[in-house]
Amino acid sequence: MSAEPLQALANVGKGESTRTLLRVVILFLIAGAAVASRLFSVIRFESIIHEFDPWFNFRATKYLVANGFYSFWDWFDDRTWHPLGRVTGGTLYPGLMVTSGAIYHALRALTIPVDIRNICVLLAPAFSGLTAYATYLLTNEMTPSPSAGLLAAVFMGIAPGYISRSVAGSYDNEAISIFLLVFTFYLWIKALKLGSMLWGALCALFYGYMVASWGGYAFITCLLPLHSFVLICMGRYSTRLYVAYTTWYALGTLASMQIPFVGFLPVKTSEHMPALGIFGFLQLLAFLDYVRSAIPGRQFQTFLWLFAGGTFGIGLAGLVIATSAGVIAPWGGRFYSLWDTSYAKIHIPIIASVSEHQPTAWPAFFFDLNMLIWLFPAGVYLCFQQLADEHVFIVVYALFGSYFAGVMVRLMLTLTPVVCVAAAIAVSNVFDAYLIVKSPSTEDRQVEDVSEAVAKKAKSGLKSTSKPVVGVYSLISKGAVVSAMTVYLLLFVLHCTWVTSNAYSSPSVVLASKLADGSQHIIDDYREAYQWLRQNTKDDAKIMSWWDYGYQIGGMADRPTLVDNNTWNNTHIATVGKAMSSKEEVSYPIMRQHEVDYVLVVFGGLLGYSGDDINKFLWMVRIAEGIWPEEVNERAFFTPRGEYRVDAEASQVMKDSLMYKMSYYNYNNLFPPGQAQDRVRGARLPEVGPTLDVLDEAFTSENWIIRIYKVKDLDNVGRDHAAASAFERGLKKKKVMKKRGPRVLRVD
Amino acid sequence: MRWLPAFLSASLFAAGSFAAKKTSEERFKAFHIKSLSSAPVKLSDGSYRDLTATPRDYTSAVLLTAMDARFGCQLCREFQPEWDLLSRSWIKGDKAAASRVVFATLDFADGRDTFMSLSLQTAPVLLLFPPTTGPHAAASSEPLRYDFTAGPPSAEMVHAWIARHTPDRPHPQVKRPINWIKWVTTIVAVSGSFTAAYVAWPIVLPIIQSRNVWAAISLIAILLFTSGHMFNHIRQVPYVAGDGKGGVNYFAAGFQNQYGMETQVVAAMYGVLSFAAISLAVKVPRIADPKAQGVAVLAWGGVMVVMYSFLLSVFRIKNAGYPFSLPPFM
Repeated sequence: MSAEPLQALANVGKGESTRTLLRVVILFLIAGAAVASRLFSVIRFESIIHEFDPWFNFRATKYLVANGFYSFWDWFDDRTWHPLGRVTGGTLYPGLMVTSGAIYHALRALTIPVDIRNICVLLAPAFSGLTAYATYLLTNEMTPSPSAGLLAAVFMGIAPGYISRSVAGSYDNEAISIFLLVFTFYLWIKALKLGSMLWGALCALFYGYMVASWGGYAFITCLLPLHSFVLICMGRYSTRLYVAYTTWYALGTLASMQIPFVGFLPVKTSEHMPALGIFGFLQLLAFLDYVRSAIPGRQFQTFLWLFAGGTFGIGLAGLVIATSAGVIAPWGGRFYSLWDTSYAKIHIPIIASVSEHQPTAWPAFFFDLNMLIWLFPAGVYLCFQQLADEHVFIVVYALFGSYFAGVMVRLMLTLTPVVCVAAAIAVSNVFDAYLIVKSPSTEDRQVEDVSEAVAKKAKSGLKSTSKPVVGVYSLISKGAVVSAMTVYLLLFVLHCTWVTSNAYSSPSVVLASKLADGSQHIIDDYREAYQWLRQNTKDDAKIMSWWDYGYQIGGMADRPTLVDNNTWNNTHIATVGKAMSSKEEVSYPIMRQHEVDYVLVVFGGLLGYSGDDINKFLWMVRIAEGIWPEEVNERAFFTPRGEYRVDAEASQVMKDSLMYKMSYYNYNNLFPPGQAQDRVRGARLPEVGPTLDVLDEAFTSENWIIRIYKVKDLDNVGRDHAAASAFERGLKKKKVMKKRGPRVLRVD
Repeated sequence: MRWLPAFLSASLFAAGSFAAKKTSEERFKAFHIKSLSSAPVKLSDGSYRDLTATPRDYTSAVLLTAMDARFGCQLCREFQPEWDLLSRSWIKGDKAAASRVVFATLDFADGRDTFMSLSLQTAPVLLLFPPTTGPHAAASSEPLRYDFTAGPPSAEMVHAWIARHTPDRPHPQVKRPINWIKWVTTIVAVSGSFTAAYVAWPIVLPIIQSRNVWAAISLIAILLFTSGHMFNHIRQVPYVAGDGKGGVNYFAAGFQNQYGMETQVVAAMYGVLSFAAISLAVKVPRIADPKAQGVAVLAWGGVMVVMYSFLLSVFRIKNAGYPFSLPPFM
């Protein structure tokens, strides 16, 4: 009785068409799970764009939808980087905006009225479904096991390492780029396996799309040549490789040069040089291969190979010389800091200041990948079993991906796909061995069908696979291993859900906290303040704030800003840093010169919100010091004992700085005298708060997270501001005492 | 011996009065000639006062240092060669004294009084005295002080600092002497390794072509990178740290923090878990003896459960709110 449905179920899986149907259903379910797990923030909060960069992307998308593609392409934005402006159309990766614009117009054409905001919010989850499918395809190229692809798709769909940058509302370039990355890799493997120009061209097409979407395209640009190079070194040069690589390189480079932001970089900068070098080297190898087939003779061949190696060496030396001579631009700061890990800290504080660019501690790996992180090496090891061209790709990708992810937290994102693929290979190998009901009763028969394949491998293969596969005998061992694996997988699902819901679903524009009775309390200071700006200030009022908030002010308050998250002009950022970290008398002329109307600071002292400006302040000082080492000095912001303090013990320079004054202005009035407390830094503040002469407090949000100050106009009577406000406070004007010297008798 | 201080002060007074009598031009010439023979000029209390006397139309850069081993000034010793290099190459590049800069060093042993009068507690101190008269006269005669807080600076960094404060004057570049030993050793090492490679090629080739070796290298590299080795390398974290009660903390508190030892433990755990997975997937189905196979399955499965449970428990140390665990380490 119980055997019948089992039998039926087993029979269902046997037909080819039912298998395909099952696969389609499973893939759809996986895509559904991938989308669903990214919707926490929409359900918990609302359909809102998250964080910082997405606000710019959203604003750019709105501009694209409103003004059409061509004016988007030529967009000069005079509402950022005041007074410089930004050639936005030529300095962004347009792929994301164009994608959502296309979806918007397609839905419109189908008479489905959708708000562009909802498309932007839901774009990342939608693409994560596609990423899962792309991972399925990529994994299927690696292993004959039917379950590996599906497992990889599930892993990719719910791995927190990818979810971290693709929850609903995180409308960033990575949202579509990871799909493009994985799909480009799939097409590359396909092209390489078949030696097909068509697949190579498709690969180039998606590579072009990737270049249009994300600066991380350089990862592909370096990885594919590296893979080819390793294959050549292994003596696996083939016409397949030649066709696939040259097609990809020629078409892909042309495609990438169509993006104005990329332009001629592919032939001018160092990070693109490996691709060009391997392209040239392949031409040489193809020529030698032809010559070899035409002319026999062993010595001549040796000569040819030496010739090839020599050319490679000379080319490499030429590259080094050209770089040092300045013909080819050296590695861009961001790329260079990946190799020389102390470079950024010394030379580019603005890169080092971003928290995403910090190195990764091990808990972050485990947090983002859970059990996959230890299945990953196992999967890579299994790739060594066969070590066909595509397996070499996984090995190379795994090595470089894990190095980069170790150096920079953000690059966990590029590591995640290969971890999912490798882990899926490992898990499917376990399941394939233990999930067979039939046990090997007599050894010899079972051995025969597999041993042939193994015998071939055994010659050059791994030590562990030298013996033929027998199979697992006892049902108990099978059951134990399979159930243990199932428990791990379930734990993985629980972990992913927990991580996603707790760590990665906060929009950071809206903060959530729990009240004493357990109910949720929403802290909405950001939007409150931006709405205030929108309603109470002139349309062209310039807002000065630290660059982190530039995109949000542009997107939510729609007001011009001095600096924003597109950190293209370090000097301009340093100017703002100097204004924030100097005395009022120094800052005021700077603000007047830049026509600043309002200054915005983020202050978390009341709420205990640690991401505020006082905690970022040292970076402002550092960046300003980089440009004006005479006027701003980081050391002066510390107490003589080297502490960074904000209480009565703080250094005088710290207390005089505009940022300090703006943060703590009037703050002590909130508390009984002498009780004022900063809850982030756990410091008791001096009884008398700072005074502000050149700024007026204009707005402070409910929880004091955002404080906005209006820059005073010049004094009507021509006094300086300090004197004017001293008069306001009722202080007597200090008489300028003239030194007269002792009285002397007039002697004629 | 009571007359000694009196005599000293008298002689110092005499020196001071001499200095006052000499014009700025003469003083500069004297010091420049001295520095041509040996830069930087070695100072004593008297010559220090001489050099920094107020009507001056030249810039003087004085390093106040304490080279004596008794003071144990690590920074002084590290910076001294850089300072010598800077002053030597500056003077060499500016023999005609167009920049009008004098480089000088005052050791604590020779200039105790100067240190006292400047009330210096630390060394080294690099002071730059701007000219008070002449075309480059600065508004204040107060010396500028170089900030040593960022560790021992290179000659180039100090050069840039001095150049910034002496505008419109030639700034001879720092010329580092060619490190012949380094060149020779590099050439010898390269040619030696080429020879070794040529000789050992028949032995090395099978190793290079061995798949097992490459697999091992790749796995070790991956384990290193994914267990946070690069973090240790960049942040230079301690290997272990005390817990303040005489014991040892193997695991750093906090999610964004780690110790060197901790990453090795984690890498080992990952390695064991991976190896268990590999064994279960690849090795066990190849064991022909049913009994041995059953034992192997049990062993590797058990190792996996225990290790994973331990890993989760370690992770709960790092992240206190983490809710999941497996037996036996609940």
